[in-house]
Amino acid sequence: MNKEKILVVDDEESIHLLYKEELEEEGYEVHSAMSGEEALKAFDALEPDLVILDINMPGMDGIEVLRQMKQKKPRVPVVLSSAYPEYKQDLASWASDDYIVKSFNLDDLKSSVRRNLAKSSGKERLS
Amino acid sequence: MPELRRDTIIGRWVIIAKERGKRPYDFVIEKDRTKGGFCPLCPGNEHTTPPEVLSYGRPGHSPNGPGWTLRVVPNKFPALVIEGDLDKRGEGIYDKMNGIGAHEVIIDTPRHDETMPMMSHEQLIQSFWAYRDRIVDLAKDSRFRYIIVFKNFGRAAGASLEHSHSQLIALPIVPHRIQEEIQSSLHYYEYKERCIFCDIIRQEKSQDIRIACENNDFITICPFAPRSPFEMWLMPKKHQSSYVSMDENQFRSLTELFLETMRRLDKALPGVPYNYMLHTAPLRSPFLEHYHWHIEIMPKVTTVAGFEWGTGFYINPTPPEESAQFLREINLD
Repeated sequence: MNKEKILVVDDEESIHLLYKEELEEEGYEVHSAMSGEEALKAFDALEPDLVILDINMPGMDGIEVLRQMKQKKPRVPVVLSSAYPEYKQDLASWASDDYIVKSFNLDDLKSSVRRNLAKSSGKERLS
Repeated sequence: MPELRRDTIIGRWVIIAKERGKRPYDFVIEKDRTKGGFCPLCPGNEHTTPPEVLSYGRPGHSPNGPGWTLRVVPNKFPALVIEGDLDKRGEGIYDKMNGIGAHEVIIDTPRHDETMPMMSHEQLIQSFWAYRDRIVDLAKDSRFRYIIVFKNFGRAAGASLEHSHSQLIALPIVPHRIQEEIQSSLHYYEYKERCIFCDIIRQEKSQDIRIACENNDFITICPFAPRSPFEMWLMPKKHQSSYVSMDENQFRSLTELFLETMRRLDKALPGVPYNYMLHTAPLRSPFLEHYHWHIEIMPKVTTVAGFEWGTGFYINPTPPEESAQFLREINLD
């Protein structure tokens, strides 16, 4: 069975290492992009099942990347991941499917990934 | 020489830099570039917002689907949550309570690029009705003591989405700024037995130098000590402490003048970012003789910096008499 593909977009190498290890352990195929521009190319080429997207990045920020991804494929879930909870108040983040605050405890991230993948694949309706 | 002016109501001081009197064309307004693209507030994307708590629309339109002309939805990622108890408590000298509240977004129009000055009167009146409907509904929740309704337009004014929307936050406390206004109005009333806002309206009518526009029931003035160029207050001429006390005719009259005010502002400073805030009596207050509801409109043409934060003073390079004259003389035809 094909593994579900997750694209992690963040300009911090340590976040990639952390998320990759934890999400691969959960059985997902994890891909990385270090900038907004790189993320949009990977989004087209890889056709991920879900995107985890940082907001504060040099160059194109996560909100702009989110807008462009939703314009291309509105049904692919995008989970915003930021160290700043105040960005939640930014209505532009509403285009995302979930918002998690970065933390060493990855339980919130993993449950958001499970929930949003289930929702997009329609499994949610069966449970 | 610059002039120090004191706000009659809360006593805030403002420096009016008269000799540098800036005319509207002196302000460089960076218009937000229209990005278009995916918008969570547009028709067809209703699934990206939480389920609506109110909508107006064409007869037979279904909830959370297209066909609406105005929608109100709860905040998708709320800072304050609606479920739970306040659990007020102290920690030594510090007070705290649970973050109970409601934060809702009023999507003013289904048209992505329709700004308030572009709206028809019938479209605009829906926003003001929605403010009323939501205040009345949320007031039933005894945990809430105040509801602030506001709008941010333009990135410089704090709006990150182009699509026209207003916001509403229900709070378990009366905000300090409102308390201050109500308390100061009460002191004035105890001394003179008159409402300070009614006195301001009387004086502005007789001086006739700071009125931007008016109709039979409402007046828009540039206040004597404005924090920013082209700051305006829109007030009912007849004493009224609560926004929700208005009848249908007053709503029509209010929105007529509001639309005219916003059109004048937009002609003076095209595309200017702005905030407006509704100040009204706290929830479940009886009729207050000393308080007068109003809308404060604050265009964002100056920057609040260290001096303002440190002193509470504001520096305004445009006297309100000049702002009012400019706004008044605009031809809206």
